[in-house]
Amino acid sequence: MTTFYRRLPKFNYLAPDTLDEALSLLSRYKGKAMVIAGGTDIIPRLKRREIGAPEHVIDLKGIPGLDNIKYDVSGLSLGTLVTIGAVETSAIIGEKFSVLAQAAQSMASPQVRNRGTIAGNICNAVPSADSAPPLLTLGAKLKLVSQKGERTVGIEDFFTGPGQTALADDEILQEIQIPHPPPNSQGIYLKLTPRRAMDLAIVGVAAVVIPQDGVCQDIRIALGAVAPTPIRVRKAEAVLKGQKFDDALIEKAAKTAAGQSRPIDDHRASADYRRDMVEVLVKRAIKQAIRR
Amino acid sequence: MKEINLTVNNQPYRLSVPPRRTLLEVIREDLGLTGTKEGCGLGECGACTVLMDGQAINSCLVLAAEADGKQITTVEGLASGDKLHPIQQAFVDHGGLQCGFCTPGMIMSAKALLDKNPTPTEEEIKQGITGNLCRCTGYTKIIESIKAAAENMGGK
Amino acid sequence: MAELSVIGQRVPRVDAWEKVTGQAKYAADYSLPDMLWCKLLRSPYPHARILNIDTSKAKKLPGVRGIVTGKDFGGWSWGWMPATRDETPLAVDKVRYMAEAVAGVAAVDEDTAEQAAGLIKVEYEELPGVFDPEEAMKDGAPKVHDYVKNNISVEYHWNFGDVDKAFAESHIVREDRFRTARATHGYLEPPAILAYYDPTGYITVWASKQSPYFHYRHLAACFKVPLSRVRVIQPFIGGGFGGTKNDSLAGDFCAVLLSKMTGRPVKYIESMEEELATSRRRHSVIVYSKMGVTKDGLLKAIQHRVVADGGGYTAIGPLSMYLNGFMTTLPYKLPHFKFDAYRVFTNNPIGAAMRGHGVTHTRFAAEIQMEMLAEELGIDPVEMRMRNAIDNPKPGEIYETINKVTLKTCGLKQAIKEAVEDPLWRDRDKLPKKEGAISWGTGISGSSYSGGARQMGHQACAAIIRLCEDGTVNLITGATDCGQGSDTVLCMIAAEELGIKLDDVAIKRVDTAYTPVDPGSYGSRVTILAGQATQKAAREVKKQLLETAAANWQVKPEDIEIRLGEVFVKSDPEKKMPFIRLARIACYSGTGAVIMGTGYSSYGIEHLDLTNGIGNGGCSYSFTAHTARVGVDMETGQITTTDFTIASDCGRLLSPVQAEGQIEGGAIQGLGQALYEDFIMDRGKTLNPTFLDYKMPHALDVPNIKLIDIVTDDPFGPFGAKETSEGSIVSAPPAVVSAIHDATGIWFKELPVTPEKVVKALKEKK
Repeated sequence: MTTFYRRLPKFNYLAPDTLDEALSLLSRYKGKAMVIAGGTDIIPRLKRREIGAPEHVIDLKGIPGLDNIKYDVSGLSLGTLVTIGAVETSAIIGEKFSVLAQAAQSMASPQVRNRGTIAGNICNAVPSADSAPPLLTLGAKLKLVSQKGERTVGIEDFFTGPGQTALADDEILQEIQIPHPPPNSQGIYLKLTPRRAMDLAIVGVAAVVIPQDGVCQDIRIALGAVAPTPIRVRKAEAVLKGQKFDDALIEKAAKTAAGQSRPIDDHRASADYRRDMVEVLVKRAIKQAIRR
Repeated sequence: MKEINLTVNNQPYRLSVPPRRTLLEVIREDLGLTGTKEGCGLGECGACTVLMDGQAINSCLVLAAEADGKQITTVEGLASGDKLHPIQQAFVDHGGLQCGFCTPGMIMSAKALLDKNPTPTEEEIKQGITGNLCRCTGYTKIIESIKAAAENMGGK
Repeated sequence: MAELSVIGQRVPRVDAWEKVTGQAKYAADYSLPDMLWCKLLRSPYPHARILNIDTSKAKKLPGVRGIVTGKDFGGWSWGWMPATRDETPLAVDKVRYMAEAVAGVAAVDEDTAEQAAGLIKVEYEELPGVFDPEEAMKDGAPKVHDYVKNNISVEYHWNFGDVDKAFAESHIVREDRFRTARATHGYLEPPAILAYYDPTGYITVWASKQSPYFHYRHLAACFKVPLSRVRVIQPFIGGGFGGTKNDSLAGDFCAVLLSKMTGRPVKYIESMEEELATSRRRHSVIVYSKMGVTKDGLLKAIQHRVVADGGGYTAIGPLSMYLNGFMTTLPYKLPHFKFDAYRVFTNNPIGAAMRGHGVTHTRFAAEIQMEMLAEELGIDPVEMRMRNAIDNPKPGEIYETINKVTLKTCGLKQAIKEAVEDPLWRDRDKLPKKEGAISWGTGISGSSYSGGARQMGHQACAAIIRLCEDGTVNLITGATDCGQGSDTVLCMIAAEELGIKLDDVAIKRVDTAYTPVDPGSYGSRVTILAGQATQKAAREVKKQLLETAAANWQVKPEDIEIRLGEVFVKSDPEKKMPFIRLARIACYSGTGAVIMGTGYSSYGIEHLDLTNGIGNGGCSYSFTAHTARVGVDMETGQITTTDFTIASDCGRLLSPVQAEGQIEGGAIQGLGQALYEDFIMDRGKTLNPTFLDYKMPHALDVPNIKLIDIVTDDPFGPFGAKETSEGSIVSAPPAVVSAIHDATGIWFKELPVTPEKVVKALKEKK
């Protein structure tokens, strides 16, 4: 970089009133438009010229209903405008989907949580996105819509690379759908950071466990910041599934998870440290989940 | 250009702004309310914190166009005449400021916190200001100031 | 000491109201009609020859009004000393660090200026770079500057006593290598300036400068105008802490030159990322420390070989390196001391001053090494310090170090005593040592810092006090409050001396057209030196007032007392009047009098001996004992700091709220440097120029801080004051590292101690 910008680049701003209008704009300006929800991630990246300026910014916030948190027989659904703060403070999420609330609470600052959205966190698809590991362990599905229709993609298939997703140019993530977790499941999100707040995860680990009489009925483990995308580590899950919990087995699962991670060296941490910490955090997350 | 209506510190404004203009730029440059500061411009320091419809936000991360129709409160909107808001008074009385550059944002975060939670614990106060960096005070006297403000405002 | 009415009171800052209401104006808050905006183009290479700059495309952009490049400054260069004037406002032939500025644009708005900067085409020939100071010293390393050999920008070789003999006689000698981080000031206000070069040849600027008179001299020299025509009007300053805001920046020079070219005011605001990527930061220093002790743990000798990463230019480097050495003979008795210092040019951003300037590196090394020796000898760390600590000289006596640093007071022993009586240390064994993966530890350190720093050239502070006929006064000084609270302290001094209320003293910001010349806000000098000047000015006013009152009551001036706005005859309290009345009488006497007092500081008039390191670098010295408790997660390496107890001998605290804020703030900056803060560099490129990744402590990272005042009443400073702002930033890192050692059994010699370093060290230990 040879110029440090303070101002945003030029773009046109569009504020559709309905989802149909948004989809029609997106289809018309395919490839030349960018959708924003909270904007807390996109605005700094545009300022720093990390991403090219779009011709059009399509702001979804004027569309009614997209900020709904819905809880019913089919589970939980989060509209694309549901903020991180809303998830953090939602009673039902705190009670039934605690792993997601924990992740929300760990993110950025109160100011950013008031503005930034869970959907935005997912669509920006940075490997360290805190909401991703919990959503992976909860088996979330993403409802993607375009003028052509809608489709549902499992969150695991959504992330395709750092900053890359299955979302097509003309699609919007309308809703994050999370099935009811089994009644006795327990979830934990652990995030490793040097400071107690405002840091990106060096490693993020979500574990959802269904313990019964000391046996692991089911378990899901997902990792953030240790691979090109957030990942689920099924081999590690398999170590424990159906087995009686014991320290050695938990240790083995944690080691397996570390083995499945593919971290990189960067200015925040080395790959070796990240891999080691996957092991520590997975072990802790499982143990804490069992204790809950 | 985009036409927007804003209410800032109970004063309505009608403005025509370029789409790329941030709320912070509008507050500081178009409305001349320079009490709100720009530190990092990236949402990492909190110096630009204002309340939008009662919620603390980083005004550097919000497009002015996105604030259309919103109620904004800046640090200039807290005192009534010569009478400081109890949070401002507590910062004065307890030495909760030094260079003063983080102070407007810090006070706005404190206000958002106390509006929601009039009796915060020390940990909740710290959580409430995690989005606001201060390099001078080491936070100790800021935390004391917010505690005192909570007490003076009737929270116990 | 006489009874005090204002000094020592817990009063709010005099500028608190403006600051909490958002009315305090900082440089970026000023605008003028018709002003232009300036933007800089910076180098994408850390070391490259500039072959050509093509501004034609940028010039054609509608809205662009002017463009400047290095050549437009007519070959002028600047630096801290005549021999080190190696820096130009913009790079001319060569860039020496990444993001060095090469061109400036002025345009009708900032968007246009930013766009235009991107249209300037610079042709570079990239040169091999050198990024490690020890590599840079080697023969054959790429040369950053041609005027020095082996890239050595500054070197000192001091030798006091006979270290070789002392090491030979020592019971144990240790040699260790320490390294401090690339830390920066981290003020939240990015540097900014509004400049106007008016057609009559006056330069007026509103600039964020903690030492505005440096800037005033730089502008006069660069633009070849008399000093009397340079007006630096000082806005409020959003934090300083040394370095960048002491100096002039490319953006400052460009804004002034562009204003001269266009005839219009020009505003420049640095982006925070730009600031973090290019700031004049604390030097990263390698300290090879050799220390010898007797079997009783008494210090025999210290030998320091110090290699500092100077970056691309000299800046204030000669002073930095002096400060690395001269205070190593404090706060413990040290009979033999050898110091070899090298400041080395590299293609990194410039190393310069920061709070705790120089001392943070060598005191960290010496403090930790002394504890390592105590451990080897089986001596308790407190006992080790008490055995070596300098005693408080008796009144009238002076303690002199081997390099002729002189102390009139030293509260270190008392500070250590009180710090270890505090429950944090006293009851440390009653607190848990291990909880789950967390291992707890408690640590201690001692430090010293000079107050009232000396420099080269003009070093006196001055004050003028003007009496108004309504009994209020204006205090006019060139000293800058950049947040530390000195305006409040100076007003308190004036009020105390005059016997009036604090509210009756008014102070405004520095304006070099009206305020007296002042060296600046650095080296903890304002309270001591501007304080002395204020005291003198107030006494001159008071003398005139007492004479008036004495004539009025037909008594001697010395029979009269003024206290909190009341004037009375000591022996006859019936004879009294309010201060306002005396002011009126004095101002209206005869044809009318103008009552003013002036004063300038006389402390610290000896010249600084940089070459030999002999003598005082300041007027008086603070002493600090600092204990810390940390919890180390033995699996993840994360460190939580729960408590600090800081016992400080800062002389007398003139304004306790402000002094506490300085000690607390310094300690937390020190905590940042112990645990979090470091610029991560890759071949000259700063990889973390944002507050997301340059990790300063947040509220949640901060321990409970308990302060203990050790009042020594130093005869040097006004009302017995010493420095308050730098002791705790020096004491915090060794206290924290000592606590980490207590928790882990590992001595960390490189700052910051990150979680990853902890885990690596624990693995190696196994």
